[in-house]
Amino acid sequence: MKEYKKPLPQPTPWSKPFWAGCKKHELLIQKCKDCQRHIFYPKLFCPLCLSPNLEWVKVSGRGKIYSYTVVYSYAPTEFSEDTPYVVAVIDLQEGVRMMSNIVGCPPEKVKCDMEVEVVFDDVTQEITLPKFKPVS
Amino acid sequence: MSEFKGKVAVVGIGEVPSGKFPDRPCLQNAMEVCREAILDSGIKKDEIDTIIPTGTFFDRRYNTDMVFSKLVEELGLLRKTKNNFQVFAGGSSSSVMLKTACGLITAGLAKVILCVQSDKVGSSPTQQMINLFATFGIPEEWETPFGFFMAGSGSLFATRYMHEVGATHEHLASVVISNRKWAVLNPNAMLRRELSLEEVINAKMVATPFTTREGNVLADGGAAFVVTSADRAKDLPNPPVYPLGFGSRVCHYSISQNMDLTRLGFYEASQEAYEMAGVGSKDIDIAELYDGYPIFPLITLEGLGICKRGEAGSFVYEGNTWPGGKMPMTTNGGMLGQGHTAAGGGVAILVEAIRQLMGKAGARQVKGAKIAVESSMGGTFMDSHIVILGKELT
Repeated sequence: MKEYKKPLPQPTPWSKPFWAGCKKHELLIQKCKDCQRHIFYPKLFCPLCLSPNLEWVKVSGRGKIYSYTVVYSYAPTEFSEDTPYVVAVIDLQEGVRMMSNIVGCPPEKVKCDMEVEVVFDDVTQEITLPKFKPVS
Repeated sequence: MSEFKGKVAVVGIGEVPSGKFPDRPCLQNAMEVCREAILDSGIKKDEIDTIIPTGTFFDRRYNTDMVFSKLVEELGLLRKTKNNFQVFAGGSSSSVMLKTACGLITAGLAKVILCVQSDKVGSSPTQQMINLFATFGIPEEWETPFGFFMAGSGSLFATRYMHEVGATHEHLASVVISNRKWAVLNPNAMLRRELSLEEVINAKMVATPFTTREGNVLADGGAAFVVTSADRAKDLPNPPVYPLGFGSRVCHYSISQNMDLTRLGFYEASQEAYEMAGVGSKDIDIAELYDGYPIFPLITLEGLGICKRGEAGSFVYEGNTWPGGKMPMTTNGGMLGQGHTAAGGGVAILVEAIRQLMGKAGARQVKGAKIAVESSMGGTFMDSHIVILGKELT
């Protein structure tokens, strides 16, 4: 594998299961056992009811693009050779929102509300990033 | 709810030109604006019992000096000033400094407050500043790994806004046209050249829809204002400017956790501020709106009810916010015209609102202006602040 030089997430004790899931190509998010709300990004306790009774659930990985931008220049140095690339905010079917990249699609074809699904990018031995591609 | 109303007044302002001044130490920015604001207020220096320096980004040590009372010593106020502390919320430091000052004066905990901002992000080593602003406010675990960075932050708001209301790139770019027209009239502005829509739209693309002309340029700068009681303001030389209403909402830390990038908190903030001030959108004479990127004045105009949802773009495009227009907007040129002095981008806009109401805005003076609104946003546009200021009590 070519050396990966971009910034990597540094998992916290409470986000480790998320990254472990990605490594197994499963998208896991937290769910509050008390108020039943899905939670992303990982928290120590439920931001709605403050309950610490959280569980990890596997989700569909399907969602819609809420917003996006195509980066052409002035990208952080480590990303400059990837331009143009798409940064997007995705609404998962489970009602949580996350940032990622849209791949497998020419940047100019990306639109708001486009349906997307998760794909896993094994960027290093330890870290797999969840990215999204249009639903075919 | 609004116990400060009628009891607090802003009585003096100071500002240095924004720009890139490698040989001008940041302390000089701070000292010059303090001196100017004190002299402008007509208040005796020794009456200042509280100094509030807001945060500085370019250098941690300088920032710590500000927190550790350097200005008190420099201004010869040792054993006279009772409090020196920082009030800092990035770009919205303007509104929160004034809000804090109002509370202290109303509670009788301070009599004369000097609020100060100074920074040197324009002439510090460029790569260092780019790296600083590339990472600030971008969640390291959830956004940085995907190549997100501050200069792309305004774009996510703009893309969704355009999608929901049908605004065009020309509508957004027209904010730059408007702000540059005002900057031409402002001797303290850094970017004093008018731009055409073509120049803005055809400039180098940074992150869609925004080009380099739609991003702000980092600058050195500084500004200060003096706040005291309305009673003390009575025999001072400037017409007092009264804070009439405040409203605000914090809507995210991570952009991807904001549930409405097209409205932010400006509807709620405006309603709160209007109610407190006892005025409505029709009473606003000047809109001093925080820019950063062209999308934000549009969202704010709509939140304030000055424009209907989706109509702010054509409102600005048609020239209504230009000099001589029916709703003069961001009359110092904003960060897109005066330059982005870190927290100072917002402070300059607040100082401009005060300057206009004092009738001291020179070539860009809006005649007969009685009520001005100031907006501000910090971080990656995390919060939405509205402040209503008046020449008279409402």
